[in-house]
Formats: sequence, C-alpha cells, structure tokens
Amino acid sequence: MNILREIQPSSKPVKRAYVALMLWFVGRAIEAAARVDGAVKAEFDGLSPGFTFSLGVMPQGPMMIVGKDDQGLVRYLGWNPEGQKIDLKMKVKNLEGAILMFTFQESTALATARNRLIVDGEVPAACAIVRVLDIVEVYLLPKLIAKLAVKRYPDWSFGEKIWNRVRIYAGAVLGL
Amino acid sequence: MDLPGYYEYYCGVKIIAGHDALEKIPGLLQDLHASRPMIVTDKGVAGAGLVDIVLGAVKDQLTIGAVSDDVPPDSDLRVVNRLAALYREQGCDALIAVGGGSVMDTAKGINIVVSEDADDLMKFSGAGALKRPLKPLVAVPTTAGTGSEVTLVAVVKDHERHLKMAFVSYFLLPDVSILDSRMTLSLPAAITAATGMDAMTHAVEAYYGLSKNPLSDATALAAIRLISGNLVEVTRNPADREARLAMANAAALAGMAFSNSMVGMVHTLGHATGSVCGVPHGACMAILLPYGLEYNRHKREAVMGELLFPMGGSDVFARTPKEQRVDRVIAYIRQMNQDLHDASGGRHARFFKEVLDREGKRAVARERLPDIARTALGDGSIFYNPEDLDYDDFLMVLEAAWEGVALDPDRIRK
Repeated sequence: MNILREIQPSSKPVKRAYVALMLWFVGRAIEAAARVDGAVKAEFDGLSPGFTFSLGVMPQGPMMIVGKDDQGLVRYLGWNPEGQKIDLKMKVKNLEGAILMFTFQESTALATARNRLIVDGEVPAACAIVRVLDIVEVYLLPKLIAKLAVKRYPDWSFGEKIWNRVRIYAGAVLGL
Repeated sequence: MDLPGYYEYYCGVKIIAGHDALEKIPGLLQDLHASRPMIVTDKGVAGAGLVDIVLGAVKDQLTIGAVSDDVPPDSDLRVVNRLAALYREQGCDALIAVGGGSVMDTAKGINIVVSEDADDLMKFSGAGALKRPLKPLVAVPTTAGTGSEVTLVAVVKDHERHLKMAFVSYFLLPDVSILDSRMTLSLPAAITAATGMDAMTHAVEAYYGLSKNPLSDATALAAIRLISGNLVEVTRNPADREARLAMANAAALAGMAFSNSMVGMVHTLGHATGSVCGVPHGACMAILLPYGLEYNRHKREAVMGELLFPMGGSDVFARTPKEQRVDRVIAYIRQMNQDLHDASGGRHARFFKEVLDREGKRAVARERLPDIARTALGDGSIFYNPEDLDYDDFLMVLEAAWEGVALDPDRIRK
C-alpha cells in the first residue's frame, strides 16, 4: 500500500476544550479553597512568597496558572504562561493522559505512578500542590467520584464539607 | 495476577556477575570503543584494598588513565568538576565507578560534564535534559544494597549554594555493572545487614507499590528469595563467597525493580530520618519496612501475602491460610531484623531508639520525631505509596518505629 498523504496529528478539539474547561474551573476553585479551607491555606502559606505553579498538558496546553500575590493571597492567573515566572511546572505528557485524570479514571497519584505527569521544580512544593489538588477534588466532586480521584477520602464532618463546597463553587463559578 | 492497565519498564544495563567478573572489564570496554578509563572511588573503598583488586584484574589488558579516591561521603559539585578536569587532562575515554551510591553519583556527574563538554552541570538537572548517550560507564558496586548500579538517577550536591541537584535520564544508566563477590567480602557485618535490608525494602516496596508491574514483580520476587536465603547467613559468615555473590545479585535485581516501580512510605520516612538525624539509609529501611507493610496492608492484602512464598518457601506458603500470610510476612521481616541484630553483635538496630551515632549516643531523639514527620511531607516517594499519609500518620508510624512496637490497626485511617 502506498501512503500518498502526510498524516497530521489530530487536534482533538472536544477533548482539548473539556480539559481546558476543567483546568479553568480547578484553577479558580483552588483560589476559592485557599480562602475557605484551612489546610489549603496552610499548604500555600508554607510555600515561598510569590510562588506560582502551572498545571497543563504537553506540548501546547491547555494550562492553568495559580500563584501567590504580594499579599500572600492565592490567585488564579489564567492560562497563558507568557511573562509569568513559574516556580513549579506540572505537565501531563499528552491529552489522553489529561482526559484520564480529569474524567477521574485515574487519580493524580496513579497518573504519577504511571509516568504520565512530569514535575519540573522543587519536589516538596509539588507534594504540597498535589495535596491541595486532592482537597479541592474532594470539595468539587461527589463522594463516589472523589473516592476514585484521591487515595483516602477525608473524614470531614458533613456540615463543614457542604458549607465549604458551596463557598468554593460560588468562588469558582461566580468569582464571589 | 494484578496486571496494571498501563506500565513502563526499562533496564538497559549489561550485568556481568561472578566470582571473577572483574576480569571481563577490558573486553567490555573494548566493545564500547574505550581503552583508557578513569577509576573513580572513595578513600574507604581504596583503603579496603578494593581498587587494588580491580587494578589487579584489569591491568594486564588495559591502560588506566587516572585513579581518584577523592569522592566524599556526599557527592559534591566541586569534586565532580575537579575530577572531570582530571579526566580531560589524562585523555580518558570511559569511567569505572568503584564504590557505593556517592561514587556512582559522582561518576555519573563527571560523565555528564565530560560528555556534554559542559561548564555548568546545573543545566542538565531534572528529568529529560540529557539528549544523547554519554561516555561508557562501568559500575562496580562495593555494597549489596543501594542498587545504584542499575538506576538512572544521580544526585549531586552543591554545598556552596546548599542545593541538591537530581539528574534523571536513561543515559545515566551504567553501560555495564560488574557484580563480583570479591568487592563485598570485607564488608563489616552491620553494614552488610543494613545494606541488605535496603535491597529487601526496594524489592518489597516495588512489589506492593502503585507502579508495580509484571516485569518489576519478577525481579522483586527473585531479589526477595535471594535475600531471604542469604542475608542472615552472610552476616554470620562474612567470608561466604556464594552468599556474597547472591546478595550482589539480589541488590541489582531489587534495583531493577524499584527503579521501574519506585518506592513508598518506608523510603519517604527513611529519607526524612536520614536528613534530620543522619541515620544511615539502610538502618532506616530495616527499621521501617515492617511498618510500611502494616500501614498499607488494607490496600494491598493479597499482594503482600504473595511475599510469603519467596520469604518462607513453598511449604510455609502452602501451609499458611491466606488471611494469615501478611502477618507471617511482617513477622518474618521482624525476625530477620532480630537475627541480623544477633549476627552483628547488636550493631544492627531493630528500632530507632536503638540507633547510635558515631559517639555512641542515641541518634534519634524522641523529640525530633515531629521534625522528621514534617520533612517527610516534602518527599516525592510518597506519590507511589498505596495509602495516603499526612503529618499525624507519619508521626504515628515514627513513634511506633522509635519504640519498636507494632502499629495499632485501629489507628490506621482507611
């Protein structure tokens, strides 16, 4: 058989759009969770002033960037790394790996164990950010799905979880 | 079999093992188009006469460009640069690393500098920065435990800037590893015991960790079988050449397992204890391994039970009901520590309060346990552990390991 045409990689626009939406939402949820949840705030307090990290998909994105501002408040800084000093880059090797993560078929830990995630930066900071992502996932997802995404589902009180969940959703969706 | 949906495995190291394996080095270097190697080692290894054994085995067929025993206990950037300069001055074209982890790391660092003609090693830190093969590297391990003769990582410290640089690349794998029984014959009993338990921990954690896969399982099980059959024996009888060779093989097999399946909380806490209190790595592994099994048991019951086969043999495995196998595995490890303690004249520690520093004082003060738990939170090996651990969990495990008591199953959060 003769191959007469060049085969271009597919851009997979639907999957790309889904991952971009999830990253946007998780990024804004992290900002909200840092105001609402003591453990998330403590993790960011332990990171250096101005600390910024990105989570994205190789080679061309999408991506989310989150960092601490001058007052130490956690901010979602958008998707464009241009002109930003990023201390920790977490990169999923390809879009299919990102889909597995963001459809919660694979936890962050399992994605790391399966070598789907590259971490470029200080390991202690990466450990802290993974813990933050786990907490945020527990807030954002129903228990049945969140149990797939984290190693151990936390034993928070029902009232505390629901109240914080409402505030994080309000922050992520409405920017409140 | 617990087959993962996806895994990766690679070990591109040629292994030469035997009582007279060193004699193969000249021919192996010739195959790699090298004829003038530099030998890198440390003063302890040189002082024990091990470099002389290597030289005796190769000198009739090979010109050695340089020999340096300058490697410190912790790999150091300045030493890497100095030895790279020596390599160039002497017109060397390959490296032979004779020693333990620090020597291997230093040799890998030198190899990056001389192969890439680099002036700043830092440019190549992290994963994937190296893009092409380096100069030939022959690894000759002088302990049976670290497995660094088959790993793709190097850690070099910049003591001036207080930085620890990690380099990760398949190009850092040695081309050849020589496992020769003569290299470990003079190893003291306590170091034999601790490094052997380091290898055991590599194999066990690789076998029940999140990255386990059929290929690393095979090497892990083979390593556990060899360690179970030989470690206590060789600690009692250091001159046993067969047992020495078996342990050298076991350490390499365990290295293949963990460099592909990684390690978990035993290493997380071991790294932190080493960092905070300076406890040797192997001693930490021996003490903490039973706790890794106890803590993760509810997530890995069936897989851990399988370990009884290579540890206890087919009869013990067949006689033990399924639900008791993990208990037997944990008891086996604790008994092994007890036997090693006895065989080493009490120098192999069974729990942290028993570990002594060079001045004979207690190395791990109980009040340092919170510091160790906090340090553990920043260690990447925890990603590969089946169960999650937070500060309280780390502290709970450390307190039990300090006292030498089993974990209370009711305190393990599930």
